[in-house]
Amino acid sequence: MRRGSAVVKRFSFVLNGKPVEVEVPPAYTLLETLRNVLHLTGTKDGCGDGDCGACTVLLDGRAVHSCLTLMAQVEGRSVTTVEGLLRDSSPDEVQSAYAESGAVQCGYCTPGLIMATKALLMSNPNPSVEEVKEALRGNLCRCTGYAKILEAVLRVRR
Amino acid sequence: MVQAQRWVGKPIPRRDALEKAIGQAKYASDLFPEGLLWGKVLRSKYPHARIKRIDVSKARSHPGVVAIFTHEDIPNNRYGPFNKDRPVLCDDKTRYIGDPIAVVAAETPEAAEEALGMIEVEYEPLPAVLDPLEAMKPESPKVHERGNIARQTHISFGNVEQAFREADIIVENTYTVGTQIHAYLETEAGISYFDENGRLTIVAGGQSPYRDRHEICSTLNIPEDSVRVVIPHVGGAFGGKDDISVQIHLALITLKTRRPARLVWTREESTIAGTKRHAGIIRMKTAARRDGVLLANKTEIIYDTGAYEGLGPAVLDVAIENCNGPYKIPNIDISATLVYTNNYVASAFRGFGAPQVLFAIESQLDAIAEQLNMDPIELRLRNALRRGDVGVFNNKLIGSVGIAKALEIAANHELWRERERYKSETARPWIRRGIGVASAVKGYTLGALPDKGQVGVELTREGKFRVRVSSTEIGQGVLTALAQVAADMLKCGVDDIQLVFADTLETPDTSVTSASRQLFLAGNALADAARKMLDKMRHVAAGLSGEPPEVFDFLDGYAISRDGKTRISYAGIARYMENNNIPLNVVGEYEVPRVEPIPGTLEIPHLFYMFAAALALVEVNTLTGFVQVRKLVVIPDAGKVINPQTFQGQIEGAAVQGIGYALMEEAKIENGILKTQNFSTYLIPSIKDAPEIEVIPVEDGEETGPFGAKGIGEIGIIPIAPAIANAIKDAVGVRPLSIPITPEKLYWLIRSKRSENGSQ
Repeated sequence: MRRGSAVVKRFSFVLNGKPVEVEVPPAYTLLETLRNVLHLTGTKDGCGDGDCGACTVLLDGRAVHSCLTLMAQVEGRSVTTVEGLLRDSSPDEVQSAYAESGAVQCGYCTPGLIMATKALLMSNPNPSVEEVKEALRGNLCRCTGYAKILEAVLRVRR
Repeated sequence: MVQAQRWVGKPIPRRDALEKAIGQAKYASDLFPEGLLWGKVLRSKYPHARIKRIDVSKARSHPGVVAIFTHEDIPNNRYGPFNKDRPVLCDDKTRYIGDPIAVVAAETPEAAEEALGMIEVEYEPLPAVLDPLEAMKPESPKVHERGNIARQTHISFGNVEQAFREADIIVENTYTVGTQIHAYLETEAGISYFDENGRLTIVAGGQSPYRDRHEICSTLNIPEDSVRVVIPHVGGAFGGKDDISVQIHLALITLKTRRPARLVWTREESTIAGTKRHAGIIRMKTAARRDGVLLANKTEIIYDTGAYEGLGPAVLDVAIENCNGPYKIPNIDISATLVYTNNYVASAFRGFGAPQVLFAIESQLDAIAEQLNMDPIELRLRNALRRGDVGVFNNKLIGSVGIAKALEIAANHELWRERERYKSETARPWIRRGIGVASAVKGYTLGALPDKGQVGVELTREGKFRVRVSSTEIGQGVLTALAQVAADMLKCGVDDIQLVFADTLETPDTSVTSASRQLFLAGNALADAARKMLDKMRHVAAGLSGEPPEVFDFLDGYAISRDGKTRISYAGIARYMENNNIPLNVVGEYEVPRVEPIPGTLEIPHLFYMFAAALALVEVNTLTGFVQVRKLVVIPDAGKVINPQTFQGQIEGAAVQGIGYALMEEAKIENGILKTQNFSTYLIPSIKDAPEIEVIPVEDGEETGPFGAKGIGEIGIIPIAPAIANAIKDAVGVRPLSIPITPEKLYWLIRSKRSENGSQ
């Protein structure tokens, strides 16, 4: 198959609980597919190199950089993005905590941080301050100075 | 008039926070108009080269390519806020690596990328000039025809040479400051299309829709009313989106192809082609009397503005204005030079020229305190400016001046009072702790330049208000603060205020979002609009009730007569106005008071200044030179805090950017090549680098500001680097004169001191 000058391939996976099929160039990353093809833009593109964490999503429940995840790695698996955390259009408690704590300024890093927080709390519901910092060290934020991000995460630990 | 405040001062969460947290907020980079073309920019491979030939014929034959543009497509190929020295697409020469040469528009991103490689550019490499001191020499290669001195000025008050002869002590040092990259998480991005009325529309990250529109229209030679610029939520700016990035290229693609387009810079493109904080050299000679009174300060400032000026001339003015710190100094002498080189373009970055010179003067103050064996805060307080004082330029300080109060809070803070105890609490013998202090000052508003803004207010049928501002939401939270101010001015709930922002079609010109002053400027224009609106509503209430207008006051969405017997809802007033064809909208305006610029400058002095003091507790690993900041106390002079949550967020965020500036962020440029093009090489602070930060506002009130508020956006970064440098001196006895203070630099400083001591 070709799309323009590029060869495309079909991939099937579960996205936020629903099965999807896409036809994209086989070298596409999950991030390119989410944003440029599906226009599901809650997942952000901060660097494309795995350095900033803005593109963090859950792949089978584990936090991954979607910019470093090739579509072949996604085939047959389950992806959760920041949009997938909504339940009957109500925000997840992590999303509410970020919004209410002042952890959101420009907000471009926020979805990635929320997904990294979600992954942390799923494996460790009551992390220490040091464990939170360790889990979020790969998610860069240029606006907040991180104080209110830490506050938001501590607000939702058990 | 005492105004009741129901919303001002409340820490309410920002109105866009949840929308952003659930991934629904749309940024310019999130937009994909139907049938779009993908834009890509070809950039110069050489820091300095003559362009002999550009051949796009092969690239044009690529099946996915729709159009390729070069300088030949730009009617007026120079732009810039002060000097029109920057080409939209290079014609005669390229002046830095990354200078744009051609724009490709293609059906897919892959085709656009492939086409870039098919454009043939024949360069004649020219000798590049990369060191600002070299560039200043007359025999150096010229970056521009006019020579490499973009701007040079000399300002002198009093007689420094005589003061130096009479002084008890003199401290003289040369400081160097590196290039800082904004590193916002969203790169420069935008889309363009023709709207249903045939209007060319650009939706792109920026800081001023009206100025962006002006640059688009003046370069492409199209009428301003044919273009609409919209700036949606911006994923960080910090001054870095004050200049043009993608806007003109996008407009060009859509104008010529009649198709929508999308252009988003990669991270590497953003670090290369985005503007930066000026690197510089600051020589400073400061004199004091034995009792600590400052007598004179002689400063030489050299800032490297790179290939183009950008906002460099104004940045230089801010450096000149603040290089003496927030102090009374009777004799000052400043030589300042803005230099062109073939380095990357420097322009606006939070602090706008002030962080560099405050690093210098605040290090000087500490060195003086040390020589005089005086408490560093006491020395600063002895010389601190107070309201009503005359500043170093013979300028009377009519606005609020909170530096003395901030320093007093610092002096009484536990971290300072018990600093010997804090310093003794180290776990390992090779870790040394130190505590440092620094002051900061910077003007807000555009100083002596004309600075005026408008705000629209409209009463809706439902009795709510629509407030229209061209202010941009770059992460700082100005829209929420304005909603709080509007609710208290218009006497309604904060949720009854709807904000329409940053759109040349929908909002009046509230001027640029910069210089820490949107809340001040828009807030004051809003006060004017609110007065006009309430006056209108008062007359309508009078007409409806038969009572005289002056008996009506307003509370919680009602006009209420003095005796309380008549209550008319805002919705009732709105319906009446609509039925009787009384316009439901007003426009308020505010022009910032200003004075004439002092000779030799463009825009100084300001009438309004921000101040701050900061304390830093650091740990220095004497074996590696690594510095960990353990605690920061930042004490900004805020006038009045409108929203404590967003206020703290601004100060905390600026403080951590300051840690990056002081210790980590080193833009390495070698032979004109930026070696640190992404986040794995250009390191910005992570959550592991962020210390505990305590923010203590001084709230003395600025009468000219809305509810007493003044600017706070930039001040938080300015005292951080010098406070950290002074803390390092306190910890290990060596004074860093060059930032960033990387482990490598500090290791060698400590080593050289040891070998001096060892040879005794």
